[in-house]
Amino acid sequence: MEKGFRKKKSGRQIPEDEVITLEHVTKSYSSGAPALKDVSLHVKKGEFVFIVGDSGSGKSTLIKLLLRELVPTSGEITVLGYNLNRIKHSRIPKFRRKLGIVFQDFRLLKDRNVYENVAFAQRIVQTPTREIKRNVPSILATVNLAGKYKNKINQLSGGEQQRVALARALINKPTILLADEPTGNLDPNNSWEIMNLMEKINENGTTVIVVTHNREIVNAMKKRVITMKKGVIIEDEEEGTYIDED
Amino acid sequence: MRISSFFYTIGQGIKNLGRNKWYTLASIATIGACLFLFGLFYSIITNFEYIVKTAEEGVSVTVFFNEGVSEEQMLAVKSDLEKRTEVKEIVYVSADDAWEEFKGEYLGEYSDGFTENPLADSANLQIYLNDVSMQPALVTYAESIDVVRKVNRSEVTADTLSGLNKLMAYVSAGIIIILLLVSIFLISNTVTMGIAVRKDEINIMKYIGATDFFVRAPFVVEGIIIGIIGSLIPLVIIYYIYRSAITYVATKFTMLSSLLNFLPVDKIYSNLIPISLAIGIGIGFFGSFITVRRHLHV
Ligand SMILES: Nc1ncnc2c1ncn2[C@@H]1O[C@H](COP(=O)(O)OP(=O)(O)O)[C@@H](O)[C@H]1O
Ligand SMILES: [Mg+2]
Repeated sequence: MEKGFRKKKSGRQIPEDEVITLEHVTKSYSSGAPALKDVSLHVKKGEFVFIVGDSGSGKSTLIKLLLRELVPTSGEITVLGYNLNRIKHSRIPKFRRKLGIVFQDFRLLKDRNVYENVAFAQRIVQTPTREIKRNVPSILATVNLAGKYKNKINQLSGGEQQRVALARALINKPTILLADEPTGNLDPNNSWEIMNLMEKINENGTTVIVVTHNREIVNAMKKRVITMKKGVIIEDEEEGTYIDED
Repeated sequence: MRISSFFYTIGQGIKNLGRNKWYTLASIATIGACLFLFGLFYSIITNFEYIVKTAEEGVSVTVFFNEGVSEEQMLAVKSDLEKRTEVKEIVYVSADDAWEEFKGEYLGEYSDGFTENPLADSANLQIYLNDVSMQPALVTYAESIDVVRKVNRSEVTADTLSGLNKLMAYVSAGIIIILLLVSIFLISNTVTMGIAVRKDEINIMKYIGATDFFVRAPFVVEGIIIGIIGSLIPLVIIYYIYRSAITYVATKFTMLSSLLNFLPVDKIYSNLIPISLAIGIGIGFFGSFITVRRHLHV
């Protein structure tokens, strides 16, 4: 076996620095046309990737496949060396601990305060309390929320809530950050703040995948842009732009 | 599991009780109501069984002998009958015993005029049974013994008691089934409510990478606490109801209380406490276990 390559069952070998691999992935829900059609995609460690496209084009389906919430109808998905077609149910928690996940609707625990929401992620991976007490303030400082750790979630603005969600996604030091329309509910200023934070995280080595509709930000940030339409990748460009629909 | 995770789990279980106050109250009320009915029912059944048992113990078959049968022969019959499984105890009453008893009961001071025992032929065996339903078989057998003159039986009482026993068995089976159906219905409703409350939290936990065990543990702790509270409340209530009911019957119906012997409250509770706790904890445990299970495959 060649050095620097991971063995794969058939076809192409996965290079060691490739963290996401999709080979001819199709995903059909029980009704209607497939949400993803024969999608192949490769992401290297440390990349920052935007995924754009009309609503209904299959972006969320792709994210759900990456975090193994869904399994493909056909095709192979490998993330961080885990073959997601064959991963055992009992191994999924270990796999997910290498991901950080952010959603448009924040998904915070509204009955707990900021500190508890972030500490929650460390409790789940059974970090000792002593370390949690050290890590949470530091990550809250990173997302500029150090002063609000005692606030209840409903006392925060949308932008602040998304920063709490981001802190929660980051505290376990994920290798990949997946964000599905993280700025979908935010005004332009807050959107920029979230995107700048994600860029900073990416600069520290985390691979970042962001689904977004924010044309201005995509065009300004000059990152890799994958454009989807009706379940197919129609464009995949380094330093790409948000393609206008005619 | 780490010590800190263990305490976190217990702490979360306790906090969940307060976070979902209505779910908690509904669950405690559901389990409490079921166990209240169960406890009441259990007290009534146990007492009834006790009363029937006491009454049964009083039921006897009396065997009289032919004239001239010697005491040895009578005692031989006695030991023969004692070999039968339905026989609990046989008391031999000699003619003199019978006369003494008769005198004491009916004649009192007027008995002095008798020089001979007028009940010379009344020596008998009083047979007490384990199982009243076996009385007819025993009577038939005793009648077939050649030295036996007559067998007296308390047919009515025996039939009534075994009938009552059967009725009670049917009634208790019926009530237990109804209770079970009601509690399954109520608990499945509370569980559905719990699912709605917990769904988001369970999803978040799974996204972060919680193991099934870690997701489940706080909910199961919570369920067990609900089960314990839900079984202790009816136990306390029934304790007071039961005690005042006994006192009430004893003071208001003195005639009845000489007839009916109620079990003391601690006799009932030595069984009712462990049974209720086991049911309560069991329902709490499996209720939460199953609720969370449905949401683990995210
Ligand atoms: N759970 C589902 N069941 C059935 N169809 C679904 C489901 N989720 C998404 N779809 C369909 O799959 C397609 C892609 O959806 P989605 O991945 O959510 O697109 P996007 O995130 O790009 O808006 C749409 O046609 C949508 O209606
Ligand atoms: Mg979407």
